[in-house]
Amino acid sequence: MTNFAEHSPYRTERGNAQTLGALPSIEYSLIRAHVFASLVTLVISALFGILVATKFTFPEFLGGHGWLTWGRLRYNHTQGIFFGWLGNAFLAFFYYAVPRLANRPVLSRKLGWFLFWIWNFAVVLPGWVLVAAGFSQPLEWAEFPLVVDAFVVLAFILMVFEFVLPFLKARLSDLYVSAWYTIGGIIFTMLAYPVGNFVPELVPGAQGAAFSGLWIHDAVGLFVTPFALAIAYYVIPATTRRPIYSHFLSMVGFWVLFFTYPLNGTHHYVYSAIPMAAQKGAIVASAYLGMDVILVVTNLLLSLRGSSGTASKDVPLRFVWFGVVSYLVVSLQGSGQAFMPVNRFIHFTDWVIGHSHLAMIGFGSFVALGGIAHLWQHIPGTRYNERMMNWSFWFLAVGLTLMVTDLTIAGLVEAQVWESSAPWIDSVRAVGSYWLVRTLSGLPILTGFVLFWISLVTGPRLSEATTSATSRVAQENNVAFEEIPEVSREILSTGWLSYAHVVAFGAGVGFFALSFLVLAILPGKELADEIKRVAPVTMSTLTASEQRGRVIYGREGCAYCHTQQIRFLAADVRRFGAPTEAWETKYDYPQLWGTRRIGPDLSREFDLHPRDWQLTHLYNPRLVVRDSVMPPYPWLFSGNANQPTQEALDLLAYLQSLGRARQLSGFEQQVLVSNVRPATPDMAMPREASARATPPTVPIAMTGGYSGSAPVLHPSSNPGDLQEEVSRGGTLFAANCASCHGAAGRGDGKASSSLLPKPANLTAARFSDERLSSVLWNGVAGSAMPPWRQLPAEDLRALVAYIDSLHVPEAAPAAPEPATLLLGKAFFIANCSSCHGVEGAGNGPAAAALAPSPTNFHLKKPTEQRAWEVLENGVPGTAMPPWQNQLSGDQLHALVEFVRSLYAPPQENSGQ
Amino acid sequence: MINLIVIVISAIMFALLLVWWRWPAFRSWIEAPKYFMLHQERRFDDKPKG
Repeated sequence: MTNFAEHSPYRTERGNAQTLGALPSIEYSLIRAHVFASLVTLVISALFGILVATKFTFPEFLGGHGWLTWGRLRYNHTQGIFFGWLGNAFLAFFYYAVPRLANRPVLSRKLGWFLFWIWNFAVVLPGWVLVAAGFSQPLEWAEFPLVVDAFVVLAFILMVFEFVLPFLKARLSDLYVSAWYTIGGIIFTMLAYPVGNFVPELVPGAQGAAFSGLWIHDAVGLFVTPFALAIAYYVIPATTRRPIYSHFLSMVGFWVLFFTYPLNGTHHYVYSAIPMAAQKGAIVASAYLGMDVILVVTNLLLSLRGSSGTASKDVPLRFVWFGVVSYLVVSLQGSGQAFMPVNRFIHFTDWVIGHSHLAMIGFGSFVALGGIAHLWQHIPGTRYNERMMNWSFWFLAVGLTLMVTDLTIAGLVEAQVWESSAPWIDSVRAVGSYWLVRTLSGLPILTGFVLFWISLVTGPRLSEATTSATSRVAQENNVAFEEIPEVSREILSTGWLSYAHVVAFGAGVGFFALSFLVLAILPGKELADEIKRVAPVTMSTLTASEQRGRVIYGREGCAYCHTQQIRFLAADVRRFGAPTEAWETKYDYPQLWGTRRIGPDLSREFDLHPRDWQLTHLYNPRLVVRDSVMPPYPWLFSGNANQPTQEALDLLAYLQSLGRARQLSGFEQQVLVSNVRPATPDMAMPREASARATPPTVPIAMTGGYSGSAPVLHPSSNPGDLQEEVSRGGTLFAANCASCHGAAGRGDGKASSSLLPKPANLTAARFSDERLSSVLWNGVAGSAMPPWRQLPAEDLRALVAYIDSLHVPEAAPAAPEPATLLLGKAFFIANCSSCHGVEGAGNGPAAAALAPSPTNFHLKKPTEQRAWEVLENGVPGTAMPPWQNQLSGDQLHALVEFVRSLYAPPQENSGQ
Repeated sequence: MINLIVIVISAIMFALLLVWWRWPAFRSWIEAPKYFMLHQERRFDDKPKG
């Protein structure tokens, strides 16, 4: 081995090599502790992820208790990966690399152990427990509650002392790019974390979302990316024994990253109420970021030139290489996703989930695993099991590739369905098989993580006195340090460069402050002005019950599946209603806009579903929507949907408040008349003019009340075609109607016990095509029956045909006596006409105020048995009272005969 | 907003390239840390064991 000191450039600069002093000590015990903690939390977090994924296919799985519900597990999955796994892995790397890069030990071993305990036992563990117990913050990448956030900030302050101070004592000319990324990541995360976690609690709605957007991206851009790049820039030259291709390019990449990354955040809210200038600024910054990543990755890959043999043999280097390639792919993908033509299509879909897994596993985790494996070879007395490590790599690579490919395709499928007018549940059905594959793809990933752990603990045990692992690897692989050239003394003696790191630090903090100024503070001010200008003065705050319900909504992670932001896109507006304006969320602390749609947007939930439907849906969504993947919330009820606890009622109250201010304000008229927000003309996007100027009168999701334009859908008169329609209608009925009406249409579906009025028994009456068409088109106000007009007309016609077929023609009864009919008519006029109308057309004087509307007997003919039941018992949940105590048997009989005689539908084509 | 971002990034890039082009010594200086990093790696490898 060459005597390195003889050839060191630092010898010529400093007179002799001894000025570097003795080697700094490295805290190996802290490295081992953090590696152990990282792998424990990694496996636990991955298990959380697999449980979350499994619940998409089996929504009832572990669904009986709040601690294991989807939302809380999802919170713990992402926070566990972020703090538990990556946080500990990065800390382990810092203890290894900082003394080497700074030529000084970390500040204090005691401080290190204090930081270890803070990180794991004041952040990760209590964070998990509190979230599982229902104490959380419903903000993406900020789910741990505020009390935990305080310890996170404390931990980052401690990191500054532990890891940044040693660098400040080092010469700038010694500061390698990994050191820059370490310093930058720690300081900027320390600054960004409070802004992303505390500010949205103080700044409401759209304004808060601007800050949240920044943190969503800063969590990746200022925490994961810098630290992962620090590892990549370290492991590559340390393994190949050759310097990186260009330190100049690495520094360009560093500064452009720290300038552009914080500016990206608002690209999570493209087409939202956030001012368009901020949106477009984020999009441009995203494009720059993509270019920067190309630069960084090119530099890293060029650093591997001529080292393909090393890369193929050295598994840690292979992990890093895979991570670097993933970084390129995921970053270019991210830049593309920010562009409006792409964003409008794939945002909120599983495409984005695939993207985030590629970032957090493909990039962050692969590089971190490579870093851990590399340093493990250098810890005295340890070495990994190479065979296990190799298997770990391949399990992870295959599992991740499968997962990302699957989720990307699933996202495209969802986007395609959302663009159509198909019911929302169709998008859930369409990706069911993809979700199953995603779950299965998680198994090789979990296996890979476990194998990695096993690899570390089953490697050959070496005594601390043996040759260091690095030397062994170098000797085995025949890799030698590349000759190190002399560094120019001229430049090293230039005085002003001594202050360059101060200038650079100032510039970095300036970039950070600039991002918050231009993407959060200025848009926030603009939004505040807009809200002051247009918000209705009558807008009320949430009631105490609604406010409690909002907390439950956040606690259960509802915002991770349901957005509360209708974007300024025709597809959104057509489906959900008018776009969400900033003022609508002015009382939302913190904002609950969401960034993902598994279920529909809930911004216009007010008046959309009746109370009993909502409660049944919360108790078990599949009672009313057969193929729903929403988790059940039985712990909000006392045994069944009819016995909601106060928490269920609070959540119901909150859900039914969503969109209330908008509907009651008359804002639509103001919008149309004033063409609001002249200050931001960019918001009126050329291709989305219809989204704002002409909101549809009846969005897909809304009941919209009775529409006189409901078409009358006549089944085919051709027997062959009719048979086909009935068959098709049966399939549609089973998928969409049977959960309430029962498989045979008798009104005895699983949800029927908790719905009032009960779902109609479709076998107990003959319905005209006009009546069925109207109900399918408009729903039934005052009942749980929703409108289905989003279905294609041929589907609705098939349903009419199928429901027609449910009615079994009665044996021809004897014609009623005229006298009986006259008697019945007299009783009807005396007792029933105020609701049902004199002619029995359901249009009596009281009808307009009743929901459900009184029956129109011209369009519906109950069976004799059903007519008797109704007259004797009334119809619970409607205005129809029981009459058995007011009228005699003969009188009831006369009424039954009379109302059944009224059926006189218009000419129908049906063969029936 | 867009103009601001484009101008700042362009200015940073232009300044770096200018320095790189006009001051060859800067190139040696800016590349020095990558050798220091390897230097440290070797020092740790050569550390007397035991």
